[in-house]
Amino acid sequence: MRILVIEDETKVGCFIKRALEEESYAVDLCEDGAKGLQMALNTDYDVLIVDLMLPSLPGLEILKGVRQARIQTPILILTAQSQVDQRVKGLDAGADDYLTKPFAIDELLARIRALLRRGSTESPGVLQIDDLALNPATREVTRGGQRIDLTSKEYALLEYLMRHTGRVLTRPMISEHVWNQDFDTFTNVIDVYVNYLRNKIDRGRSKKLIHTIRGSGYMLKVD
Amino acid sequence: MPLRVRLTLWYGTALALILIIFSTILYVITARSLRDAVDQSLEETAAAAVRSLEERGFLPLIDETELMSQFPELARIDKFFQIFSPSGTITIRSPNVKQHEMPLSRQALEVAYSGRTIFESAKYPKEPPLRLISVPIIYRGNLLYIVQVGTTMDSVEQTLNRLLLVLLVSMPIALAVSLAGGWFMAGRALRPVDAITLAARRIAGGDLTQRLTVPASADEIGRLTNTFNDMIDRLETSFRQIRQFSSDASHELRTPLTVMKGETELALRRPRETDDYKVVLESNLEEIDRMTRIVDELLFLSRADMGEVKMEHLPVPLDMLIEDVHRQASLLGQERDIKVVLRATASAVVVGDELRLRELFLNLLDNAVKYSRPGGTVDIALTIEQNHARVSVTDRGIGIAQEDQSLIFDRFYRTDDARAHTKKGTGLGLSICAWIVESHRGHLEVQSKVGEGSTFTAMLPLAPASA
Ligand SMILES: Nc1ncnc2c1ncn2[C@@H]1O[C@H](COP(=O)(O)OP(=O)(O)OP(=O)(O)O)[C@@H](O)[C@H]1O
Ligand SMILES: [Mg+2]
Repeated sequence: MRILVIEDETKVGCFIKRALEEESYAVDLCEDGAKGLQMALNTDYDVLIVDLMLPSLPGLEILKGVRQARIQTPILILTAQSQVDQRVKGLDAGADDYLTKPFAIDELLARIRALLRRGSTESPGVLQIDDLALNPATREVTRGGQRIDLTSKEYALLEYLMRHTGRVLTRPMISEHVWNQDFDTFTNVIDVYVNYLRNKIDRGRSKKLIHTIRGSGYMLKVD
Repeated sequence: MPLRVRLTLWYGTALALILIIFSTILYVITARSLRDAVDQSLEETAAAAVRSLEERGFLPLIDETELMSQFPELARIDKFFQIFSPSGTITIRSPNVKQHEMPLSRQALEVAYSGRTIFESAKYPKEPPLRLISVPIIYRGNLLYIVQVGTTMDSVEQTLNRLLLVLLVSMPIALAVSLAGGWFMAGRALRPVDAITLAARRIAGGDLTQRLTVPASADEIGRLTNTFNDMIDRLETSFRQIRQFSSDASHELRTPLTVMKGETELALRRPRETDDYKVVLESNLEEIDRMTRIVDELLFLSRADMGEVKMEHLPVPLDMLIEDVHRQASLLGQERDIKVVLRATASAVVVGDELRLRELFLNLLDNAVKYSRPGGTVDIALTIEQNHARVSVTDRGIGIAQEDQSLIFDRFYRTDDARAHTKKGTGLGLSICAWIVESHRGHLEVQSKVGEGSTFTAMLPLAPASA
């Protein structure tokens, strides 16, 4: 899951980025409003976190710009003002949720999970396919009730696959959402990580869940 | 008591007094002139009687019928007459006095002997009051007769009573009518006051957008309305400023709080290396310093607003101060590879607070260094100009747009260029500078062009030559 953080206070941006990275999200940080809008328009993010008070371009304008481009990515706004009207304006301009500073990191993470759920039809909380279950809140992965330990990147890759079950995911898509890099030479790494995942999830099981779609990418499904 | 009632009461009392005085005077004058008229007619009648008696050689008259034919004017019903002998006994009297004995009073007799005429009032039970004139007839030094003519005061009294009645009845009516009028007029005059009260109540309820409609007339109410509206204008502005200020202040304080809370929580989420904790603690310390500075500056400004900041009033040699500040700023500039040059200095003494003046120049130099590009130069110069010490700080940095130049002295105001240029700064420095210059009765000006640099000039009045 790839997240863009637009926040001009360097330190605030940095700890948000680190907290998200520790949760295996791929994070881009931008301190400038206009640049941030460009990034949001050019890259397919899963969540945008936008501070409302920004130099060069206020957060509200970023929201409007994103929604005008018909991009439906969930947006979480950060406001320092506790005033209601700021929040109302933000929500009206297309934000999905808001947090007032100072905020608790746990709350930020919970809200991001909620925003990520919003797009899918699955039941809230646990992602499930066949007997494979992934709980984003606890980052616990089980198959057939058995715990599976994953590294941070493996987890991120699996979460992305599980959130898009039954869809073909190309290597550029995976690299964009799991690693915050957009180059194709990166595909090797992806193949390596998919193999790691296969070893931990499908190895020794009769039912394979991770499928290679020749010439395009990967897909998670029950066949 | 409501003003309307009071006004009406005052008005009513004044009117009642005027009415009473007027009526009393009217009554007294009328009574006087009516009585005078009666006396005059009595006098004329008596004179006519005396004249006829004289024509007849003062012969005693025989009886009434003859008398009446002799003096037809005596036969008038409203008058009667009696003729007394010098001893005071009645010799003849007109028929209309038959019912009563009306002896000559002693006083009248005595006055008659002295040869003078006398008027008297008399009152008998169950009779209207009478008015009498007694005229002595003296022939060759002897008192022959006393002629007395009388008339009832009936009509006079009736007229006076009627007048009194009219006055007593009409006075309360007039009073009541004009009180009602006064009440109505006071209400009309006070209606704008009620409107003002209502508006004031709405404003007190927090709605500062309310304004009174100004009446067309330039009277007291019009002036009051205008003054009131002006006052609300100022209130609204200062409320807006306060709201802006406190929201800015809370924003400025929230940012360090967010950093501290976020970094601390993040550090505590899982076990970390000691160095990681150290980084967090150091960062938190930075934020604490930042908050302390903001709180100090806010406190200073709010105390300055309330006039609670103490200021020294001592002679301060500016040239020495500037040299000192220049040394300090040079160190500041070194970090960013910026040269701070003292261009000119003159001997100048101003009266004021050295610490505050130092703060002023340091703030200006700090800005100049902060908003310069690395490798740039900052100039500082002290010159003398028309009883003023002129201290100017010039940089060739990012500059300030024309429309921002009046705003940068506002609290927390920072230009977007400045924010993009550096994160450091809360936007309070220049507010404090402006306050310091003003409390030295000087003024602070800025000249700037975007991208070319800025010059801040402080003009401070010189100490009087004797000081
Ligand atoms: N020399 C300068 N060149 C360009 N801009 C300036 C200069 N001095 C002040 N400004 C502008 O005026 C604003 C207000 O200045 P001020 O000194 O009050 O605040 P600050 O420097 O941002 O913060 P601090 O309160 O820490 O001084 C600055 O943010 C900047 O936009
Ligand atoms: Mg400053």
